[in-house]
Amino acid sequence: MDRLDLLREAARKVLDSGQVEGVLALRADHGGTVPHLFHPGDDLSDLALWPKFPLPRTVDMLLSSHPEARLGIVVRGCDERGLIEMAKRHQVDLARLTLIGLACTAEEVAYCPCTRPYPNEIAVGEAVEGVEHVLAAEQARLSLAERMAFWRRQFAKCFKCYGCRNVCPQCFCEQCTLEDDLWVERGVLAPPFPSFHLIRALHTVGKCIGCHECELSCPADIPLTILYTLLRQDAQEMFGYEPGASLEDKPPLVVAGVT
Amino acid sequence: MSEDFEPRIIGFLCNWCSYAGADAAGTSRLPYPPNIRIVRVMCSGRVSPELVLRTFREGADGVLVLGCHIGDCHYTDGNHRTAKRIPILRKLLSYVGIEPERLRLEWVSSSEAQRFAQVVSEFTETVRRLGPLELKGGA
Repeated sequence: MDRLDLLREAARKVLDSGQVEGVLALRADHGGTVPHLFHPGDDLSDLALWPKFPLPRTVDMLLSSHPEARLGIVVRGCDERGLIEMAKRHQVDLARLTLIGLACTAEEVAYCPCTRPYPNEIAVGEAVEGVEHVLAAEQARLSLAERMAFWRRQFAKCFKCYGCRNVCPQCFCEQCTLEDDLWVERGVLAPPFPSFHLIRALHTVGKCIGCHECELSCPADIPLTILYTLLRQDAQEMFGYEPGASLEDKPPLVVAGVT
Repeated sequence: MSEDFEPRIIGFLCNWCSYAGADAAGTSRLPYPPNIRIVRVMCSGRVSPELVLRTFREGADGVLVLGCHIGDCHYTDGNHRTAKRIPILRKLLSYVGIEPERLRLEWVSSSEAQRFAQVVSEFTETVRRLGPLELKGGA
């Protein structure tokens, strides 16, 4: 049985358990995938794996609109870490979720580089080694002038579609700083430097779980995860904090206490 | 860098400690460079990263954030957040090619007039050495 069959079987088991009203997974659609809530008894033949898409925000939406519902959800390593960070900020109630852990394959990791491409509990697939972010490591070798030239070129491509924010499982503020005229003027393209992307980068500190969805969704191909990866490494070194690693660790920038 | 470059420095000073410290420096007639423009804020924790970025964007060559010493915050732990936020922002500045030395965080109490004058003098010299902040390069 291949990985997809195993996933369908795992989803079926959760659906048949009577513990959940449905299982949130991906469904094949027009050559791509879309989030879909499978109900008990549903045909699972169009349940899909790839291209990956983050499900935490969709499940948050479903749990909010159905306050009594209990759901199953297919989670990759990044989805699980995303849910953990969301739970810390009271965005999602993990007690109402049954996680179906899915490990990424080496091919998937090559496409979407990640240091921990598997969830804590794996139901389907086998854990493969994570990889370092090669481009992030290369940044260290650039001079300050080269870095500014590089990023000004990258940010100049931005036409403020907000795709990076909209896809992010950690962006759930009711009011977004990126839409506040004081910090990011409306109607100005590309956003002035330094504003939009640096503000967003700062706001990912202690939250970004490295799912790469922002970069994958960027129509201008801005390598955003370079900055987020570097800042994640800094937060690890400075505060010993790894987003998504555990429910108990407190996000460093929102709690009191200095080390 | 031209010899007569005068750095433009914006200082965000906490109302309870550092602003009083600056006031004390004034009443004690302690000299410090006139390059700093002081903005009084209610807490150094109020200085968000977007505020610092906008300040650079508006033409500051250096940004100085002064707050109460850890343990002395009027709001108990406002400066705890500053203590973590500013170092991370300095890292980010360096990643996009802005010298992190252009942003400095120091603790200055209301009785530390001498320290205030010294920090402002040192920082002004640091920024003078770095030269004007050029944000246009390479675009």
